[in-house]
Amino acid sequence: MGSLCSRQRHYNQADSEENAQTAEIERRIEQETKAEKHIQKLLLLGAGDSGKSTIFKQIKLLFQSGFDEAELKGYIPVIHANVYQTIKILHDGAKELAQTEEDSLKYVISDENKENGEKLAEIGARFDYPCLTKELAQDIEALWRDNAIQETYSRGNELQVPDCTQYLMENLQRLSDTNYVPTKEDVLYARVRTTGVVEIQFSPVGQKKRSGEVYRLFDVGGQRNERRKWIHLFEGVTAVIFCVAISEYDRTLFEDDNKNRMVETKELFEWVLKQPCFEKTAFMLFLNKFDLFEKKVLQVPLNVCEWYKDYQPVSTGKQEIEHAYEFVKKKFEELYFQSTAPNCVDRVFKIYRTTALDQKLIKKTFKLVDETLRRRNLFEAGLL
Amino acid sequence: MASCAVEGGCPSDYVAVSISILSIILLLAKAVAPYLIYKIPRPKGSSFWLVAIQVLASFNLLLSIVMALNFLKFKGRHWWNSCYIWAVWLEGPLGFGLLLSCRIVQGFQLYNIFVKRRLPPIRSYIFLPLVLLPWIAGSVFIHMKKPLNNLCHMGTQWIIPVICLHALYIAVLVGLTGAVQHVEFRFHELKDLWRGILVSACCIGIWVVAYILNEVHEEISWVQIVSRFLLLVTTSILVLAFFSISLSQPLVSLMSLRKKDHPEYETMGHALGIPDSGLLLQGEPTQFADPNEPLDKLLLNRKFRQSFMAFADSCLAGESVHFYDEVQQLEKVPDNDHVRRIYMARHIIDKYIAPGATMEVNISHRCRQEILSTLDLAHPDLFKNAVNELMQLMKMNLVNDYWSSTFFMKLKEDMRTVNHELEEFGGWNFSHRLSSVHCADDPFHQEHSPSKPDSNICDSDLQ
Repeated sequence: MGSLCSRQRHYNQADSEENAQTAEIERRIEQETKAEKHIQKLLLLGAGDSGKSTIFKQIKLLFQSGFDEAELKGYIPVIHANVYQTIKILHDGAKELAQTEEDSLKYVISDENKENGEKLAEIGARFDYPCLTKELAQDIEALWRDNAIQETYSRGNELQVPDCTQYLMENLQRLSDTNYVPTKEDVLYARVRTTGVVEIQFSPVGQKKRSGEVYRLFDVGGQRNERRKWIHLFEGVTAVIFCVAISEYDRTLFEDDNKNRMVETKELFEWVLKQPCFEKTAFMLFLNKFDLFEKKVLQVPLNVCEWYKDYQPVSTGKQEIEHAYEFVKKKFEELYFQSTAPNCVDRVFKIYRTTALDQKLIKKTFKLVDETLRRRNLFEAGLL
Repeated sequence: MASCAVEGGCPSDYVAVSISILSIILLLAKAVAPYLIYKIPRPKGSSFWLVAIQVLASFNLLLSIVMALNFLKFKGRHWWNSCYIWAVWLEGPLGFGLLLSCRIVQGFQLYNIFVKRRLPPIRSYIFLPLVLLPWIAGSVFIHMKKPLNNLCHMGTQWIIPVICLHALYIAVLVGLTGAVQHVEFRFHELKDLWRGILVSACCIGIWVVAYILNEVHEEISWVQIVSRFLLLVTTSILVLAFFSISLSQPLVSLMSLRKKDHPEYETMGHALGIPDSGLLLQGEPTQFADPNEPLDKLLLNRKFRQSFMAFADSCLAGESVHFYDEVQQLEKVPDNDHVRRIYMARHIIDKYIAPGATMEVNISHRCRQEILSTLDLAHPDLFKNAVNELMQLMKMNLVNDYWSSTFFMKLKEDMRTVNHELEEFGGWNFSHRLSSVHCADDPFHQEHSPSKPDSNICDSDLQ
């Protein structure tokens, strides 16, 4: 700035205006670069279907202006698509099981629903879905109540049945209403496979206050082909929020029918931990889908997953759930320490139990994350 | 003179050895040049390894001839002077046998892909050792029986089965080439195979003559010298002529070193002569960028497609759009032109479907398996399910953000300038149209408000 002032003496009036403009621009650039340095980069990583995009939506709801009516209505085709896709998966699954299983009679769809089923499967195979009318909703509900479909649903872990199936099927009447406006809950349940990278910028204390931290959050796809794009985001990351769907220990991948989801997540977590760019990055492990875990762990033992094969159940009911959860948490802690090189041991590592659909819980969890990061920043700046 | 015929070191020997060194250098240059000159990335998988193995096998063959026939004078006998290493192992399973096995693998792959129209059932890295097995067995047998004299010559009763083994492999190669000769290849596959057969047949002919001369006239030194000189020189030339870059697929031959033969191709579609699609016709109304239209109709238009593709690339989600584009090109090839369909289908599979591919797309396991284990690579509906899945993905992820992106605005600007030239159509004001559509069921409705706080990466400069 000083040099600019001294130069001004040598120029005449017209040029000095230009100089003032240049100075203004330079000052703005400097401000922005300083502001950029204060933006903390957060990455949401995890395998496919682990809840990253739901957490992303929650953050949008909590710390930005939320969803206005237009945005909510924008989710209608997504929700309808979910309905069609789900019923198609169940229908095709029932047909397949009827052919391959010995006890095939219980998977055979009853005659009155057969035609319905074929029609809905054909609709589900198009890429342009019709609007969900009351009529179609009734057909879908009739098919859903068929015994064969219910039996197939109970074996949903072998097919790629989405988690929101129960919720969608129970609310069909409301979803097919002509003036339907999705609720926030509907939007959170809606399932879209993310491709590419999406980002938002937010400040946890609200946009008005200037003293808050500014975060830039990136959401990515979790399937195997999407992971080669992650590397573009790995520079200068403040914290990685790694999401794990702990209820998926008995399911296989969407992109590979032969790999168990938990084992894949374990390998992925190891890989992420060993990345050289994450030497100083904080790791927040979100053990997600706890609500589904609670229900499942009492019916399906943990040792169906080969990583959990040394699990021993001790009791029943709530105690058992807690015990199982502690077991899973310990497994991940062990994994973390095994995969952390000696030069990275002082990076922050915290585990949180989450249910991405629960807004209060996510708000509380994120406040904890924010506190941890702020404390870490102060520590790094030598003030703590 | 007599001593150098037996021990090696004659001037003609040195000339022959230097010719063979020259041919190896030229071979390496030929193999590496397309990658260095055009800066193509190194290919992965069988297309790289088969070529590397060819170069190695050629080198082994020449080295085996040099060492086995005593071209160079070595003081004393060392353990590595053993005839069996050079004349048996290096010449057979690691030299001539390996060269021919590579070509047989190529022929087999071409047969599977173009005649049976499916992807090869056995991976080439498993198939190659299998084909090499008879050579290894033969070498082990000879090694145990030890029939070689100290001049590295076998008796007649051994030469005949050895030559028969060589000839057998050439016959297998002829058989495979015959099975594919009716296919109209677009690149030099058939020519390469015939050239390989010719070269190896010449090789065998010359060897037979040289061996006979060497054996029968072991005492006449000038026969020895001349025959081995000829042997090495012709093998050097033939090793060069045998070499082919595009062993398993015509990727590098898309960019030839001799520009006058073929112009440079950027995409497989160009190389196959498929025209670009979706040019805006003169009479077409320019309302293509109507958000009400379904995505597949919008993508038919080339300008929209290119703009949308650029947008998707900026969000790191471009592979779906590129895949859709190339499948559209595939659909333009007529159904009865099996060969071109198979080339294009194979290219699409290698680029988008194979696990670990450079632009792998996000499709389900079942969809991928259906494509990889198909029984007919030329089937018109091969990629239909994949396209459906990816259209859904694009609709849910990319389309809404596209309408509020800079790419769409640029497209509008371009169309507006075109609009001014087509005076029949009174100026369509696109932004007017966008914001005036209010329909509860309109999936593409988007308030045209750049003040939205969230955005895709590409829009960060908007803020």
